[in-house]
Amino acid sequence: MYLDKSIKEINNLLKNKTIKPIDLVLEAFDNIEKNKDLNAYITLNKEEAIKKAKELENKEVDNILFGLPIAIKDNIVTKDLKTTCASHILDNFIPIYDATVVEKINDKSMIIIGKTNMDEFAMGSSSRTSYFGAPKNPLNKEKISGGSSGGSATTIAAKDLLFALGTDTGGSIRQPASYTGIVGMKPTYGRVSRYGLVAFASSLDQIGPMTRNVYDNALLLNAIVGKDPKDLTSSSKETEDFTRLIGEDISNMKVAVPNYFMSDIVSDEVKDKIKETIKILENNGVSVDYIDMKYLDKAMILYQIIAMGEASSNLARYDGIRYGHPIDNPKDIEDLYFSTRAKGFGDEVKRRIMVGSYLLSGDNAKTYYNKALSIRDDIKKEFSKVFEKYDLIIGPTTTTTAYNLDEDMDDPLKSFMDDVLVIPVNMAGLPAISIPVGKASDNMPVGLHIIGNSFDEATIYKLASFIEKKVGEIYE
Amino acid sequence: MEDKLTKEEVLHVATLARVKLTDEEIEKYRVELKQLLNEVEKINDVEGYDKERMIAPWSDNTTLREDKSSDMLDPKEVIKNAPKHSGNYIEVPVVIGESEGA
Amino acid sequence: MSNYIPTIGVEVHVELKTNTKIFSPSVNGYGQMANSLTNVIDLGYPGTLPTLNEEVINLAIKACKVLNCKIRNKINFDRKNYFYPDNPKNYQITQFDTPIGYDGYVEIEVDGISKKIEIEEMHIEEDTCKSTHRNNKTLLDFNRAGVPLIEIVTKPCMSSSKEATLYLEKLKELLFYSDISDCKMEEGSMRADANVSIRKCESDPYGTKVEVKNIGSISNVGVAINKEIERQEKLYESGESFKEQTRRYDDKLGDTVLMRVKETGNDYRYFPEPDIPYVYITDEMISNVEKTIPMLPDERRSKYVELGVSPFKANKLVNNRILSDYFNTLLDSNINFDIASNLLLGDISGYLNKEEKVITDTTLTKERFIELVNNIDDNTLTSRNLKDILSKVLESNSSIKDIIEECGIKNITDDDKIRKVITNIINNNPDSVSDYKAGKDRAIKYLMGQVMKETKGSINPKMANKILIEELNK
Repeated sequence: MYLDKSIKEINNLLKNKTIKPIDLVLEAFDNIEKNKDLNAYITLNKEEAIKKAKELENKEVDNILFGLPIAIKDNIVTKDLKTTCASHILDNFIPIYDATVVEKINDKSMIIIGKTNMDEFAMGSSSRTSYFGAPKNPLNKEKISGGSSGGSATTIAAKDLLFALGTDTGGSIRQPASYTGIVGMKPTYGRVSRYGLVAFASSLDQIGPMTRNVYDNALLLNAIVGKDPKDLTSSSKETEDFTRLIGEDISNMKVAVPNYFMSDIVSDEVKDKIKETIKILENNGVSVDYIDMKYLDKAMILYQIIAMGEASSNLARYDGIRYGHPIDNPKDIEDLYFSTRAKGFGDEVKRRIMVGSYLLSGDNAKTYYNKALSIRDDIKKEFSKVFEKYDLIIGPTTTTTAYNLDEDMDDPLKSFMDDVLVIPVNMAGLPAISIPVGKASDNMPVGLHIIGNSFDEATIYKLASFIEKKVGEIYE
Repeated sequence: MEDKLTKEEVLHVATLARVKLTDEEIEKYRVELKQLLNEVEKINDVEGYDKERMIAPWSDNTTLREDKSSDMLDPKEVIKNAPKHSGNYIEVPVVIGESEGA
Repeated sequence: MSNYIPTIGVEVHVELKTNTKIFSPSVNGYGQMANSLTNVIDLGYPGTLPTLNEEVINLAIKACKVLNCKIRNKINFDRKNYFYPDNPKNYQITQFDTPIGYDGYVEIEVDGISKKIEIEEMHIEEDTCKSTHRNNKTLLDFNRAGVPLIEIVTKPCMSSSKEATLYLEKLKELLFYSDISDCKMEEGSMRADANVSIRKCESDPYGTKVEVKNIGSISNVGVAINKEIERQEKLYESGESFKEQTRRYDDKLGDTVLMRVKETGNDYRYFPEPDIPYVYITDEMISNVEKTIPMLPDERRSKYVELGVSPFKANKLVNNRILSDYFNTLLDSNINFDIASNLLLGDISGYLNKEEKVITDTTLTKERFIELVNNIDDNTLTSRNLKDILSKVLESNSSIKDIIEECGIKNITDDDKIRKVITNIINNNPDSVSDYKAGKDRAIKYLMGQVMKETKGSINPKMANKILIEELNK
């Protein structure tokens, strides 16, 4: 099977015409068909993908991602391809433009295979708030794949294909990556254009690559970054080759482990795996210090205020007027608003936009939202201080391994607590990756979280790829 | 501390968010929303922070767009996704007056 | 006479004269086919983000300068959240905490006394879409959605409808002259709302405030304010209290009509727009904009008067921006500006109105105009001559001298020749001479008439009049 080979091998096979893009596309669809019960996809793009693959047969293989199938999370808009955000309110929505990342993917001649399942409007941590039902964890179908980018994590972990895009507002790439044992990167806020990413919390959202290994991940990031004049929050930082430090010597690197990341909130089994990894690093010349950091335990509160506040405003546009799914025969305009949104949104979304509205109403905006923005600035400064002394910060991605799909969903705090370790990164806008570092006794993967300084993704990939290799050696 | 919101409090936020609730839902949210609000209340315990607000984590100077037109839609595309339209117009149930905003 | 003191504040929305919208590159235009000037950003499509039009910032800076506002050097935008079908995102991007301009003023003259109308703040925001109501449906046209606006808010510092209308006229003139806006109230590119309250004496707290919206012209602002003052007086006199409310002006009724009673504070849930980071207004940006500000109306008026134009005519010139701009090109030349202003406002304006043209459509270059003025000044041309040659002056490229020659105009400018004609007429009209000596003024008129008749108008009347009186007094 070609999609089991390394990216370089596939690229060579395409170049010497042993295979054609259509072979990869058909193989991916075969895999997805076999894994149908995982519910990784909301919409498949079969006809168009096959057409595109055939068109590519006449084109020169001009880059390493050429002709490769990719899955896109369903909150990234794709022209003429249904984009639902896993919500009833958009279940008939056909975008009339492409997201900037989609244009970039097309520029590389990658082939979009389908739109992946997720939590409704990316609100959740298990993808169970999807209007289309939750995806299942390929490593154990009783378990969640995490969320909100659960479908993208699922299809990569199931080895359907090599590449997927996810989005991360409060851990939504890294947490499912950890639960499914894949590699997921949230780039620095501003690295990747958000134009065409359906906003959940604008000041936190970021698109990132989800892949089987670190090298592929860096390659996909190479393809999607860059200043976008359509996104004022996108950075004018030079684009760079994120693979360039992979394989370089890591001895003498300095790594910090915040004590909070190894405190009682994390299960012993997860901690043990992280400690094993730390041992490997130390044995290879990396100095690892345990440090105290202010505000890490406050990040969750800030996240709730900022994310729910922004979401309540971002989701106001779904009223069934210009697009979307209104109720039939509204009595009047207010009925159109109230009933359309009551019917169109699920429970988690309703909860969050109601609380978000409250947090911004009257004087509350000052007490909550503005104060949260001020403290947020301090979190960023706190991280900056650490990066004056250390190259990277590490810890576990999640407090436990993936839990069961049938676990209670009604605790409104649960979905936030799943992300307690990954959220501080979004507050500071930093880049961070999750990579698998072995399995716990339940045979489910444990993820290592590596946080870098702003725009220093390359150093994250350097350490990540070293650990990936070492851990691989242990398990083989 | 009361561990539930009042019915009126729930209806108030539901109105701000424009979501119609059933009686059953109101009862459910009285508890659930209160749980969330108790959590965010904890921000009041944070002291000694800097007043500077971070609007977006990335702080490039905002690049302004040149005043040149591009990328317009055909009116047919405008109404393509609109559930109700009349000619080139998008249609809604009758609304009296203009909005507060401008 | 009324026993109450009115307090009036005015809020004005002005659409900026840009090529494109504030947050999207769609065309900013009026009167086009419905929904033909939009894109996915204006429609609030999922995933879209705003960009910020450079020219909007420049025009806002310009407005700050023209309205004497202080300029904030670090601004951000805020979201004003409310559900309404004309508000595509169900939030409006505006400025709440950091309006670009503040503490400005506009100077007006009320009954000969100058007064500063204080401007509280000026901010930038986007316009809503246009709704039309038909057969129990509301139809939405998004062409206007995202058109850039500035909102200019005065302090409650006016005490009569007259002050308010003078302020609006002045504001309109300033914004129009500096190319910030068309300021067409009939097309909605300028919209005024008035806040009106009354109280018994200065030391009382302000009375209940009523906002009057939807006023279609400046004169109607005056009418609406007066009607509102009257209405509030009646209510207070009859001991009735009323709630803070919004009313609209109904042109047909000539009166204000209740729109809604204000709820306890509208809950707009303002918060900083996360999609637009801080914008820094640098000194360089400000000085670049300052270079584009033309001479403003008040300066023009005083300059014209200084050069010998009457205040009345100076004002008339300034009221016609194209003529005034034309006049400004002459300011550094050494000519008789009184004659120049007479020509522009008199014969030339008459001709232009008839032909539905503006002066820049004609062949009258600065150089030819100066030649024309000088020919009149030295009596080579009389006003009667001018009427005959006006079309040639405005539509050919020949020099004025050539036109005069071509038309065979030969005016009697020789003092001796004129004196000869006049002595002849005096000798032939002894009765009139005695009438004159007896102090009867109309004798002069009669004699002048004879002089003009004799010379067929080819003589400068002023000069003839002077010589006639000299000869009569001999």
